[in-house]
Amino acid sequence: MASAPPQEQTSQTSRACVLEVQDLRVSYQTSAGPVRAVNGVSFFLRPGERLGLVGESGSGKTTTALGLMRLLQESAVIEGGQVLLDGVDLLGLSDDDMRLARFATISLIPQGAMNSLNPMMKIGEQLRDTIRAHRNGTATTSTKRAIDARIQEVLHSVELNTAVMDSYPHELSGGMKQRVCIAMAILLNPKVIIADEPTSALDVVVQRQVMETFRRVQEALGAAVILVGHDMGLMAQFVDRVGVMYGGKLVEVGPVRGIFKDPLHPYTQLLIKSLPNLQTKEDFRGIPGLTPSLLAPPPGCMFHPRCPHAMPRCSVDVPVLSEIETDRWVACHLYDGGRP
Amino acid sequence: MSALLEAQDVTRVFGSGLLGAGRTVAVDGVSLVISEDTPTITTIAGESGSGKTTLARLLLGMIQPTSGEILYRGQRMKAMDGRARKEFRRQVQAIFQDPYEAYNPVYKVDQVLQTPVRKFGLVTSRDEARQRIEESLRLAGLRPEDTLGRYPHQLSGGQRQRIMVARALLLHPRVILADEPVSMVDASLRATILESLVRLKRELGISLIYITHDLTTAYQVSQNIYVLYRGSVAEVGSVERVIREPKHPYTRLLVSSIPLPDPDVRWGGEGDTAARAATPNGPPRETRGCKYANRCPYVMPECRQAPPPLYRTDDDRAVACYLHKDSPPVSGRDIAEALAHGG
Repeated sequence: MASAPPQEQTSQTSRACVLEVQDLRVSYQTSAGPVRAVNGVSFFLRPGERLGLVGESGSGKTTTALGLMRLLQESAVIEGGQVLLDGVDLLGLSDDDMRLARFATISLIPQGAMNSLNPMMKIGEQLRDTIRAHRNGTATTSTKRAIDARIQEVLHSVELNTAVMDSYPHELSGGMKQRVCIAMAILLNPKVIIADEPTSALDVVVQRQVMETFRRVQEALGAAVILVGHDMGLMAQFVDRVGVMYGGKLVEVGPVRGIFKDPLHPYTQLLIKSLPNLQTKEDFRGIPGLTPSLLAPPPGCMFHPRCPHAMPRCSVDVPVLSEIETDRWVACHLYDGGRP
Repeated sequence: MSALLEAQDVTRVFGSGLLGAGRTVAVDGVSLVISEDTPTITTIAGESGSGKTTLARLLLGMIQPTSGEILYRGQRMKAMDGRARKEFRRQVQAIFQDPYEAYNPVYKVDQVLQTPVRKFGLVTSRDEARQRIEESLRLAGLRPEDTLGRYPHQLSGGQRQRIMVARALLLHPRVILADEPVSMVDASLRATILESLVRLKRELGISLIYITHDLTTAYQVSQNIYVLYRGSVAEVGSVERVIREPKHPYTRLLVSSIPLPDPDVRWGGEGDTAARAATPNGPPRETRGCKYANRCPYVMPECRQAPPPLYRTDDDRAVACYLHKDSPPVSGRDIAEALAHGG
């Protein structure tokens, strides 16, 4: 069942990376029994890079992202794994230390981020709170003047007028609120920013403007980003590498061009073919079949019931995510002997 | 050459308020024609605040226009008697964005299918009802044995959305209006659902009105598109013209903002990236001139004087923009009719 054997982890650690996730397992306790939402996920993140985590609803992408930050809901249990941020296992930190690590070293732009702002509090006060809560953390700015100077600097960098400090969230447009959330995420110079579908509620024009700002400040800061989502267009335009999740596992990880131009895993191949473009009309290629039940997952490879290339061993052995070519990781028996 | 469903210079104003405070013109003089002769898929596209959902509700007769007319097979909606209205409600069906909200979680899905059959008195026996329901499910790409007798939570999102398609089909409609039918759906399912919509047109001859903010899927499924900006038609035409070679600065901004699933195509690489980042917040202010003037990188003095008429730049396209004033002006109704009849 182990999907990340030790030798594979060694090969990942040999690279310079800021974050390394090893064999992360998360279950939700439900009345029908435990649901394995994240089932042995391992990946690494290089400093300053943008990694996309894509998958359909129920694939475990959001649970993975929230699990890294230990922000899961109460019914979720982290059953195992390590989340090494600069060598420190976040899963081993005390609750207080984890609280300090959030925003300071790893920050989150949550799903529907613009609704995560406190509606009763002015923007400036919310940003000040974030800094004050970390006075003992890595950020040591403490005087009100210094705090406000930092806030103004960050608001400026996300192209917001500093007057928004005196505004309540409802006085701002969706795009402006989203920029406030980006400002909050970079306020304390974190090394890793997790963005969970940050622009799914925005119109395309605003989405592009917000993502351009996000990319610019992220590059200036040198922070690495994990962008979680299902919008493959956004992934193609924003990230350097893509990790494809299916049924609680990573099935493929590779550079963005490789994933879009030369996908390896049959699921990735079908996913890419299903995407609409502006070249073809009335040409639809959905993926037949249904997403697997996590309560009663199929044996072997999670994708085998829908896979056009399924072989007898696919319903028996769980394929392991392995690097079959430089930087190309895939969990599929088709590549057991390298590229066929 | 007649119209099945038609909007004639339709305007809808919300909120009155003394001195016009809080008055919002949600739809502003829009004309649209769905042809009776050829089944088509027509897209109404726009961002939030464009008025596309209000236009949809007007076309469905859920709300009445402040001015202008909605006509169904030449009959004014306002003048319809009870019987005509019921027939209209049978022939024009809707599919909405979030299929989950349409279900009552404590009833089996059979109920959402039986209710319309009963309400419209379309069958005379239980067996006939069952036959009709099973036929609709199959047309929507579902196996009746997999769906009937189940509760909504036992079905996948895609199945729930298809049951909504089946429900619309039960009544043998002439027109189906689909409001963002795939915006809540995963990529692998999106293709399957869009395909079933196109099959309705191709195999059953049903015309569709596809309401979306997503120009990529609009290009895939539809023939004609109306791009709305703050309640007005900014550009209208065949999707080949409007999406592949947009002419209105707003449409060009929209198209260049699409994140295409191809890392070799640069996002916003071509197009009007210079458009003002200032995006509208709150209800649109009424302006004398073009509603896009404040965001437009090509704004000219005349843009602030009077709203631009539609200029017919091609046989199958018109643009409401003074940059194209060398082309002949055309009324919204004339271009809508020309498009509906394959002009």
